Amino acid sequence: MKKQNWFMSHFEVANAILIALVSLTTAFSVWRTNVVGSNAADESRVGLIDAVKNQALDNENYRKLYEEAGFSYQFAVKEAEVISLEASSDAGAKSRARNIRQYLLPNMQLLGQPLATDEKYRKADGTFDLEQRFSDLKNDGEAIPDPAASFAHADLLFSEQRWLVVGSILLALSLFWLTLAEMSERLRAIQFVVGLATYLFGMAWFLGVEFVFFLLQRGA
Amino acid sequence: MNGTVLPSVPEQENPERYKSLVIILTVLTTVLAAVLAALQSDASIRADIANRDSQFYAIQVSGELHRVGLVTNYEFNVFTDYLTNLQQATIFELTALEQEQAGDTKAAQATHELSAVSQARADLGEKFSIFYTDARYAPKEQGGLPNADQYLLDLNEKMNEILTKQNEAADVYATWNRKADSYVTALTILAVAFFLFGLAQAVKSARMRLTFTSFGIVVILFSLLVTFLTLLG
Repeated sequence: MKKQNWFMSHFEVANAILIALVSLTTAFSVWRTNVVGSNAADESRVGLIDAVKNQALDNENYRKLYEEAGFSYQFAVKEAEVISLEASSDAGAKSRARNIRQYLLPNMQLLGQPLATDEKYRKADGTFDLEQRFSDLKNDGEAIPDPAASFAHADLLFSEQRWLVVGSILLALSLFWLTLAEMSERLRAIQFVVGLATYLFGMAWFLGVEFVFFLLQRGA
Repeated sequence: MNGTVLPSVPEQENPERYKSLVIILTVLTTVLAAVLAALQSDASIRADIANRDSQFYAIQVSGELHRVGLVTNYEFNVFTDYLTNLQQATIFELTALEQEQAGDTKAAQATHELSAVSQARADLGEKFSIFYTDARYAPKEQGGLPNADQYLLDLNEKMNEILTKQNEAADVYATWNRKADSYVTALTILAVAFFLFGLAQAVKSARMRLTFTSFGIVVILFSLLVTFLTLLG
């Protein structure tokens, strides 16, 4: 009888200490889960910002490309007109062609530069290589990270958050069972064992999830 | 016959009655709350991802719209310029013929040269126009019109594909967001059950304990109904 009293009084103290420990662990787990969720949201936001930047750069590149394309087309057509005038037997036409070639065409060509001035963009049929020019514009522009990388990282963090939530719930359940063991007198041992087992399983789960996602993030 | 009649003693109520039931129900509610929290968290994460994807596709659609606008503007300008030059060349040629028939050879020669200039412009413009260089849109017979409708369909194809993805992602977002909200509702209802079971533990009367416990059970059942409807929805 004396032994039992001794056990009961010591059990309550030990269980109270364990409850405090589990409370702290649960609080830490919930904090960590929220941090991971917050990091995932941050990564998503970074990805969206990169997507906006990429799209803005693409928009500007396309605008510049078609501005150059329009001027280059006007230049090419005027050049064809000059060639036709130069082939004329009329002296007036030849004179007009000479003046256009000397004064107007260089300025029209400058408006369409570098598409109209750089020979690498000129095709054999007299048209311009718009794909090549767009590719050069993209390569010359500011290097913005691919949003897909941020999104993939965000997805990984979201996945980690999902599994950590399960761990936090296991820890919260263990807290409940341990509290029950502290309060009730019947089935106390069973409640304590269930609480402790759930806590240990929850801890193993939490650490396992952290380890696996640490490896996945290093590999990513 | 002088014996006194003892007053009837009412049956003593057990103050601990139904306490075990309340404890079991509280444990059940805790487990249910934990599962609901996990479901809510998962639904919320899925909604976040779908929302992000929908925004990403919306950005891409706006960019594609911008590109399509620039391309069509350029292509139709080239096409219009080509048609104008071609018609001018034809009109000048007809005028030159009339002038020749009228015996005005000098004027006819000048008009011929004007026609040659317009034709030269048109010939080069034709090489620039996708409506004459791409077999998908080029006129099938001499003097026919290019297939501009097919061109516009093809040009907008990529944008429509992205738009479809955007709409799908937006729908997924709406679905999961609605589910996440429903789980929050179920969790809130469960909080009421916790409150009722807490009261049931606190009261001294077994009858009152049973009353609170019964209301708590009704609340749990309602929360379960909301959860299942959300899961199936």
